[in-house]
Amino acid sequence: MVKALDTKLMRDLWHMRGQAFAIALVIGAATATFVMAMGVHHSLTETRDAYYDRQRYADVFVNMVRAPRSIVDQVAAIDGVAEAEGRIELYSTLELPGRITPVRAMINSVGDGGASKLNRLVLLRGRGPVSDKEGEVVIDKAFADANAMDVGDRIDAIIYGSRSQLEVVGIGLAPDYIWSIAPGELVPDASRYGIFWMGEKALEAASNRTGAINAISLIIQRGANEAEIIRHVDALTAKYGGTGAIGREDHLSNTFLQSELDQLEAMTRIIPPIFLVVSTFLVYVVLGRTIRTERGVIGLLKAFGHTNGSVGWHYLKFALAVALLGIILGSAAGWWMGRSMTAQYAEYYRFPFLYYQVSANVFLTGAALAFGSAAIGAMGGVRSAAALNPAVAMSPPPPPIYRAGLIERLGEKAGLSAVGNMIVRHIVRWPGRSAVTVFGVALSLGLLFSVLQFIDSSRAMLDNYFSRAQRQDISVSFIEPRNEKVLSELALLPGVIRVEPARAVPVMLRHGARSKRVAIEAAHSGEMLTSRVDAQGFEVTPPASGLMLSRALADQLDLRPGDKVEVELLGGRQTSATLNVASTIDELIGTRAYAQSDVLQNLSRDASPVGSANLLIDHAHRDELIGKLAEMPMVLGVTERDAAMELFERIIDENIMSMMGFYIAFASAIAIGVVYNSARILFSERAHELATLRVLGYHRSEVGVVLLGEVALLVAIAVPAGCFIGYWLARLMVAMFSSDLFRLPFAPERSSYGVATLVVLAAATATALIVARRVNRLDMVRVLKAHD
Amino acid sequence: MRNAAPQQLSYASAMPHRVDQQLANGHKHAFVGRSLRKTYITGETEVHALRGVDLDIHAGEVLVLLGPSGSGKSTLLNIIGGLDRPTAGELWYYDTDLTALDDAELTRFRRANIGFVFQFYNLIPSLTAEENVRLVTDISDNPMPAAEALELVGLGERRTHFPAQLSGGEQQRVAVARAIAKRPGVLLCDEPTGALDSQTGVRVLETLAQANQELGTTLILITHNAGIAAMADRVFNFLDGQIASVMENETRVPASEMAW
Ligand SMILES: Nc1ncnc2c1ncn2[C@@H]1O[C@H](COP(=O)(O)OP(=O)(O)O)[C@@H](O)[C@H]1O
Ligand SMILES: [Mg+2]
Repeated sequence: MVKALDTKLMRDLWHMRGQAFAIALVIGAATATFVMAMGVHHSLTETRDAYYDRQRYADVFVNMVRAPRSIVDQVAAIDGVAEAEGRIELYSTLELPGRITPVRAMINSVGDGGASKLNRLVLLRGRGPVSDKEGEVVIDKAFADANAMDVGDRIDAIIYGSRSQLEVVGIGLAPDYIWSIAPGELVPDASRYGIFWMGEKALEAASNRTGAINAISLIIQRGANEAEIIRHVDALTAKYGGTGAIGREDHLSNTFLQSELDQLEAMTRIIPPIFLVVSTFLVYVVLGRTIRTERGVIGLLKAFGHTNGSVGWHYLKFALAVALLGIILGSAAGWWMGRSMTAQYAEYYRFPFLYYQVSANVFLTGAALAFGSAAIGAMGGVRSAAALNPAVAMSPPPPPIYRAGLIERLGEKAGLSAVGNMIVRHIVRWPGRSAVTVFGVALSLGLLFSVLQFIDSSRAMLDNYFSRAQRQDISVSFIEPRNEKVLSELALLPGVIRVEPARAVPVMLRHGARSKRVAIEAAHSGEMLTSRVDAQGFEVTPPASGLMLSRALADQLDLRPGDKVEVELLGGRQTSATLNVASTIDELIGTRAYAQSDVLQNLSRDASPVGSANLLIDHAHRDELIGKLAEMPMVLGVTERDAAMELFERIIDENIMSMMGFYIAFASAIAIGVVYNSARILFSERAHELATLRVLGYHRSEVGVVLLGEVALLVAIAVPAGCFIGYWLARLMVAMFSSDLFRLPFAPERSSYGVATLVVLAAATATALIVARRVNRLDMVRVLKAHD
Repeated sequence: MRNAAPQQLSYASAMPHRVDQQLANGHKHAFVGRSLRKTYITGETEVHALRGVDLDIHAGEVLVLLGPSGSGKSTLLNIIGGLDRPTAGELWYYDTDLTALDDAELTRFRRANIGFVFQFYNLIPSLTAEENVRLVTDISDNPMPAAEALELVGLGERRTHFPAQLSGGEQQRVAVARAIAKRPGVLLCDEPTGALDSQTGVRVLETLAQANQELGTTLILITHNAGIAAMADRVFNFLDGQIASVMENETRVPASEMAW
């Protein structure tokens, strides 16, 4: 008996394969996004952890101006420090043939053959540098690839003011440079910024630092108090110009990777649930309808002695079977998409190896979620099937009751045709089902919109920063902070129209138990090239006294305008002062603090040094000027605003290319699943009526209108609803994706509403037309013989 | 009928032009069929529903198709009404060769000329009586107002009722109103009283006969109730896919005098 029921199950599934597949598509999208996001998150985390572990990525980092090597032993002796190592980190300017804009490198010292205790180099090709062999370097893979360099190539470099020739002996990677960016830049550009490793002795000699270092990294013992150790390290390094030790969570490379991982995690929390909710509703509607049409069968089964439980289980199995199909499809798709996404991340973040592996747990959790939502959707139908009294079940169901309700009378007032009335009444007769169609299509539109908004948002952030806040053509950063004189030097260069200094002082801000390392940037009177622009695009000037903090920073330190904050100067003179928080600014990028330049001067008690300068130039002299700048030994980097902006745009475009395909497919999956099922149910419910219309002389196309008119009307309602959902979904995503590094503005282009609508309409129309083809197969004669 | 519909109107003047002209042009026959065959193939077995039927159906006559179940009456009616095609043979509606029409042309033919009434009323449950009639008047060239068609079948008062709120006989009368509202040249009725009790059935027949008289509509009626044959001008007796005999009535008995 059970076997016969299972045969029926298989037949039913086959008979309803279209609908079952459409639901499976939505469940599959849920599983796929879940498996993909979790898989990528898991794989990247595992890869990172393994990489950190294997190459001994440090826990704490500190930079100083210059310290004797002996300080390393003192740091190592701090309670809780497992291991410490010192090195030299030095910026250098490279002269690559045919390149006008300066190319820079961060050179790190390593032991003989590239060995080190911490932040160990991974050699991909070639060998490590011999410690005292002048000029031998290992260069990072991204830089090598971007500049088509390989082992054996030679690079002209200016190190510590003097020119020397470097020889590439190896290509490598290291865990402290998974992500890197040149100082002063907003966008990483591997072609213009490289990470190099050079023998300790050679770098000491080149930088006139014999027996001295300027950076220490350390690993702490398991369970040791990091904050306590940092305090000790700061105390030890203060007199050597220590700029304050930081933990991994503040180390640039790790911070960026972490923010990416956080975004992936946010994605798992937003997107799969949307698909799960839609699939729950779809199962609810489709199974509910199936059970209504199978009343007689249910009655018969029970009359033959099937228990309520076994009848209920029969229908539950139907839902679970559909979910299983979705899970299989989704797991495969998610695994595959995750692999391609992980590969993309691996290219952006520099890992020497990549574990792509999705744990069984991820698949099991994804499956459990899918089964769970299908089961919830099935509950209503299953319970009504179980509760159906066999005698009642075998008598024909009461005919659907239509009454001249409010909407019906409205239809009459509106002068609807008889066919128009058929459409409207049917929608009103099945409000739940109509609502599911509207809701599902609206969600698909909303989802797509919120993804499109992301792109708009990135563009808006770009515009906010580059077009409004940074109006200089070129910014020049110096190897070491300079005094005011540098400005007049720059002003004399060809093509320079205007020079403005950019000053920043590294400080530690403390408020109660909270603290944060930031740079206070100076605003000076008369500046024209840069300004501080809030999220709405308005310029905000720092107050005459006290500090202006970015909103994110103020929140992190739990500060409000009017509060006092302790400011401790890092590097050079170790002084501290208490300043007033005068205002906050709602900024999109970074966590920063600002003050008027005289406030900053009072604080540092000397003419605050110029770290970089912003130039407005005459573009006719651009090449000449950049050539001259590149020759100046004090110049570390030259950043052109337009080039940076282009690069940023290219990154956004690449993201669009890789992600949009997925999301269009996913959003379409919902639209297709919902519209297909709603049209199929509609068709089977109305086949009799549609055939009757054909008998009465209605053409196929006119009958198609009755079928599609209802779907079209529901989709039409879904469009504004979808824009509304999309609006809030996008806001939610923007909030969830914001990090320390940047906050995405909510700034949708109007066209994004349009594009989302068009994609969803296209998916809905194509699906509806597939169902509408069934009108051609309506059998008029058979319909007349049956009592509907 | 007269008693049933006291404020009944006269529709003689509204007789369709096409029937008029065709009569004037000397056409006696609305339909002419020759050697009509219909073979259904289901799996490996062939069912010969029509095995060579020749027929002439006079314009404006009342024709009853009588015969045992399965003898091919519905098959013929559906072919005449353009719902189905013969497997072989010729079928003309006035000057039109129905076997040469494609699907869209057959639809147009039905829309312009044919009114159907079936055993199961085939009303749209979501539409009121009047709206069910309007389904047809919405797409006809020269229909009578839907309300008038309902008056004609004695349901003027029930215009706004949904099918579920009407009895079987009333529903069938709505179906009749729907069929006659477009003033069709031909009314095709497949066991219109099959699901009704005799009293209700008589009322439906009266309505149909009245449409025949006042609109000049050719009325073709399937029944397996020999009593109903008395209201016909002619009776085709079906047996095993063929017309076994044709019977002509000297006088037609009014539908109101029938009982079964
Ligand atoms: N669609 C069909 N497929 C197969 N056989 C059919 C079909 N329609 C009718 N028949 C067969 O054709 C024969 C005539 O049917 P029908 O015209 O409906 O008879 P009647 O209306 O006189 O009762 C019957 O044997 C019936 O089973
Ligand atoms: Mg029949």
